[in-house]
Amino acid sequence: MIEVSGLRKTYGDFAAVVGSEFEIDRGEIFGVVGPNGAGKTTTLKMLAGLIEPTAGTATVAGYDAGDPEMRHQLGFLPEESPLYEDMTARSYLRFFADLYDVPRDVASDRIESTLDRLELEYRDRRLGDVSKGMKRKVAIARSLVNDPDVLIYDEPASGLDPLTTNSVLEFTEELREEDKTVVFSAHNLYHVESVCDRVVIMNEGRIIARGSVAEIREEHGDTTYHVYSDIDLPETELTADGRHRAVVETMADVEELQDAAKAAGGSVTDIRTDEPSLESIFLELTGQQMPSPRTATGTDAASEAGGDDAEPMPDASEEPPSQPEGPQ
Amino acid sequence: MTRRDRFRAILSTAARRLRRIRRIARWEIAQSTASYNRRTLLIAIVLVGVVGGVAAAALSLGVASPSPNTDIYRIGIDDDSPYNQVIEDTPALVARPPDASALDRGEIDLLVGFVQQPQAPAGEPQPPPTLLVERAPSDKGNAALTAFRSAVQSYNDRLMTQEPNATAAYPVVVELRYTPQAGDGAGSLVGNDDEPVAELGNDTDGTGDGDSGDDGSGDGDGSDSDGGSDGGDGDDGGSDTPEQSAPDIDSDDGSLLDRALFGGSTSGSPAEISPPFPFASLLLAFLFLVPMNFIIQAYGSSILNERISRRGELLLVAPVERLDIVAGKTLPYIAVAVAVTAGIAVAIGGSLLSVLAVVPIALTFLAATFLGAMFARSFKELTFVTVTITTFLTTYVFVPSIFTNVTPIALISPLTLVVMELQGEAVGLGSYVFSTAPFYLSSGVLFMLGTGVYREEDMFTQKRVPLKFLDALDARLSGVASVGVLTALFLPFVFVAELLAIAVLFIAPIELSIPLILVVIAAVEEVAKSIHVFAGFESDRFDRSATTALLLGAVSGVGFFIAEKFTVIAQVVGLPDLALGEAALQPAGVTPSTTLLLLAGPLVLHTVTAGISALGARRDFRWYLVALTAATVVHAAYNFGVVTLYG
Repeated sequence: MIEVSGLRKTYGDFAAVVGSEFEIDRGEIFGVVGPNGAGKTTTLKMLAGLIEPTAGTATVAGYDAGDPEMRHQLGFLPEESPLYEDMTARSYLRFFADLYDVPRDVASDRIESTLDRLELEYRDRRLGDVSKGMKRKVAIARSLVNDPDVLIYDEPASGLDPLTTNSVLEFTEELREEDKTVVFSAHNLYHVESVCDRVVIMNEGRIIARGSVAEIREEHGDTTYHVYSDIDLPETELTADGRHRAVVETMADVEELQDAAKAAGGSVTDIRTDEPSLESIFLELTGQQMPSPRTATGTDAASEAGGDDAEPMPDASEEPPSQPEGPQ
Repeated sequence: MTRRDRFRAILSTAARRLRRIRRIARWEIAQSTASYNRRTLLIAIVLVGVVGGVAAAALSLGVASPSPNTDIYRIGIDDDSPYNQVIEDTPALVARPPDASALDRGEIDLLVGFVQQPQAPAGEPQPPPTLLVERAPSDKGNAALTAFRSAVQSYNDRLMTQEPNATAAYPVVVELRYTPQAGDGAGSLVGNDDEPVAELGNDTDGTGDGDSGDDGSGDGDGSDSDGGSDGGDGDDGGSDTPEQSAPDIDSDDGSLLDRALFGGSTSGSPAEISPPFPFASLLLAFLFLVPMNFIIQAYGSSILNERISRRGELLLVAPVERLDIVAGKTLPYIAVAVAVTAGIAVAIGGSLLSVLAVVPIALTFLAATFLGAMFARSFKELTFVTVTITTFLTTYVFVPSIFTNVTPIALISPLTLVVMELQGEAVGLGSYVFSTAPFYLSSGVLFMLGTGVYREEDMFTQKRVPLKFLDALDARLSGVASVGVLTALFLPFVFVAELLAIAVLFIAPIELSIPLILVVIAAVEEVAKSIHVFAGFESDRFDRSATTALLLGAVSGVGFFIAEKFTVIAQVVGLPDLALGEAALQPAGVTPSTTLLLLAGPLVLHTVTAGISALGARRDFRWYLVALTAATVVHAAYNFGVVTLYG
C-alpha cells in the first residue's frame, strides 16, 4: 500500500531524512519512532505529499505522494491539528467532506457513525468550547470523512488523558480490522508497541532498526533469565523475599544452574524471562538516556531548518509501567 | 480519448474546482464573520454608516453650510442702513447698535455710518451722504475692516449675478481656457481632442445665438462647450431678454453637489474665479480608498491566522489545488471590495467606469496584503506590512490624481479616471488600459508569488521577510527558461516604479530630472532582471558556475527585452510627448534607419547587464550588490548615450 524508496529531504546542509526505505502492506499498522529531530514527521509529511522530497520516491495507494488523486485515498492527522473553533464538530466535518467531494447524504451518515464510534458528545457545540480530547477525536473523525485507505497519524494520542488515549488507541486498532493501513508515530513507545504490527526506529534521519517489535527485540535486545532456586549457589543472590536468584543471559547458563542446584541437593523453583522493552532498545540504539521530567522538551535542528520534528520528549509521568515479570 | 471527451473532462474538472473554491469562500466568510461577535459587527456597520452619512452630508452641504466662524466681527450699524443686508449675508459679521463710544470701549470692532454732505445750492441735486467707516484701534479692528470690504464686494458680485440684464451687469465678457502644459498630449489623454480639459466661461450668450446662459451657471467649469466657447462677442448685449440672464449661483440648474464637484461659482468677477482644481472630485475619489484599509486588515489577519495556527495544513493535504485555496479565501474580500466600490460609485454619482477603475486598485491592495501576510512572522509584522501597503498604494494612486487637469502623468493612477469621470470628461480605452493594466498585472504577479509559498514548507517556517521574498521567487523558478518568464512578469512593477519616478521627478528642472530618471530606471530594471537569479543561486537551484550565470543573465535579458516592448501602450496615451516620458520610454528623433540599432541595442544591453549581475549573484549577496551596481552604471551610461544621440 505504501512504498518508500531512497527518500531523502535536506534543508541546505542539514539532512532531515536520509535514504529511507520501507514498504507497508494493506491493513498494517506501521510505527515510526525516534527521538526529536530523527526525521519522523518529515517522513510522514513526505508521505502525505505536504513536503516535496529532495530525492527518492514515495507511493501511496498506487499514486505518487503529492498526487491530487492520492489525497482522496489519504487521511492525515498532524501532531497539532488546530480546529476552526467557531465551527461545530458537524459543520467542520461537513466542510471537509465537501472538499473531498463526498456526497452530502453519505457524508452525514459517515460523520455520525464515526462520531458515534469515537463516543463524541456535543456535536453542535462550538469547537472552541470543547475539551482537548474531544478536539482530537474530531480531528481523527476528519481524517476519516473521505473513507481513506491510508491513514497517517502523527502522535494521535499526544497530550491526551489516559482514558482518551486508550480510546484513541483502541480506535486505531479497529481501523486494522477495516483493512485500513495506518502509519503511526508516537513518542510514547508503549503506544507503538501496543498497536503497531511493525516498526522503524529512526535516528538523525536514518532508519536504524526495523521489523516487528519481537524481531527488533530479538535482534537488538538482550533477553535475560531470572533463575530462582531453593538452595544457595555461588551464582545466586538473596532476594528481598528470601529466595535465591541468579540472572543469566543464555539458556545454556540456565541449564548449568539447574544442574548445579541438583548437585547441591536443591532445585530450580522458577525461571522468568526478562525481555527488553522497545523503549530500552530504542534508548540503547539511539544512545539516549531516559529523559527527566524537567528536561523533557526542546526544539531540534530539523525544526529550525524547516523540518517539523519538534515533538516534546515523553514525560516521565506518561511512561508505561515496566513489563511485569512472569513465568516462562 | 476523443476531443469531446477531453473537453468534457476539462469542463468537469473546472466545475469541480469552482465548487471547491465556492465552498472555501463560503467557509472563509463564515470564519471571518464568526471572528467578530454580532455586537462588534453591528457597531462597525453603524460607525461606517455614520461616517459615510457625515461625509456625504458635509460634501453635499459644504457649499451652503454655516461657517463655524460666525459673529466674529461686531459692526455698529443703523437698522435702516443699506449695508445691513451685507452683514446679514456674512456669517462672520454681526450687527450692533451704532454707538461711537462702544468702539472706544471695545464692544464693537467697526462703526459704519453716513456723513451728510453740505447742502447743494438750491436747484442742484443734493449730494449723497458719504459712507463713514471707523475701525477700532486694534488688529481685530483692521481685520474687521478687511472682512467688511470683502463682504461688500461679494454682496455686490451677487447682486450682479442676479441681475436679469446680464449684459448690463457684465458689459465685458472674458473667456478663460485652461489647457494642459503638455499641449496636444493631454487632448488625446482624455479622449477628446476637440475640447479643452477645463474651461471657465461666463456665457451671457451675448453673441445672440439664442441659447440659454444656464450652461454657465450649472456647469461653471465650462466643460460644456456651448456654455463657454461662444461667448466671445458680448457687444450686442442689448437684447435684454430673460433667456440672457447672467449666471445665477442659486439657480436650480446645478445641484449643490454639482457645484461642489465642478466649481459652480467660478463665474463672476475675475477676482473670484479660481483655477479648476478638482478638489471635490478628489475628495470623492478618495472615498474609494478608505474601505480598502479595513478590507485588507481582515484579509491579512485571515491569511496569517492560517499560518500561525497551522490550520492551513489540513487544507493543503485535502485534494484541493493551492490556487483554489487562495482563490477561495480571497474571493469574499474581492466581492466585498467590489460591492463597497459600487455602493460608493452609486452614492457619489459615479458610473461603471469608476468601479472598473477602482477594482484593479482593490486587487492590488489585496494581492500585496496576501503576499505580505505570507511573509510576516507575526501580527506585529503584518501590521507593519499593511501600513506600508496602505501608505504606498494610497500615495501612488491619490497623489497623481491631484494633477488630473495638469499633466498626463496623472494617468499612472486609475483614480485619475474616477476624477475625470466625476468632472464629466471622457475616458478613452487607451487611457483605461494605461492606468489599470499595471495594477491588474502587478496584482496577478503578487498573487502568483504568494501562492508559490502557500505550501507546508514555507507557510509554517519563521524566516525574515527578505528571505521569504527570495523563497517566493525561488518557488517560481524551475529551469533556465523560467528565469526569462519571471523577468517578463516583473515588467508591471518596473513600469510602476518608473512611472512613479517620473511622477516624482517631473516637477524638478529638466536638467536634473532627466539624468536622475535615467539612473533610477537603470537601477529598477537591473534589479528586476537579477533578483530572482540571485534567489535561484541562494537556494542552490542553479550551479554556481560562471557559464550558468551568463546563461541565466542572457535569458533574463531576453525576457526583459520582449516584455519591455509592451511599454508601447504608453505611446497610445501620449506619455512620451512629455520630455521625461520621452527620455524614459522612447527617445525622439528615431528614424527608420536607426530602428534596427534601437532594437538590437537594448537586447545587447539587457543581456550584458543581466549577465554582469548574475555573475555577482552566483557568489554571495555582497558580490551581487557590487555587480548590480556595475550593471546599473553600464545601463545608465547607455541610457545617457541614447538620449544624447536621439533625444
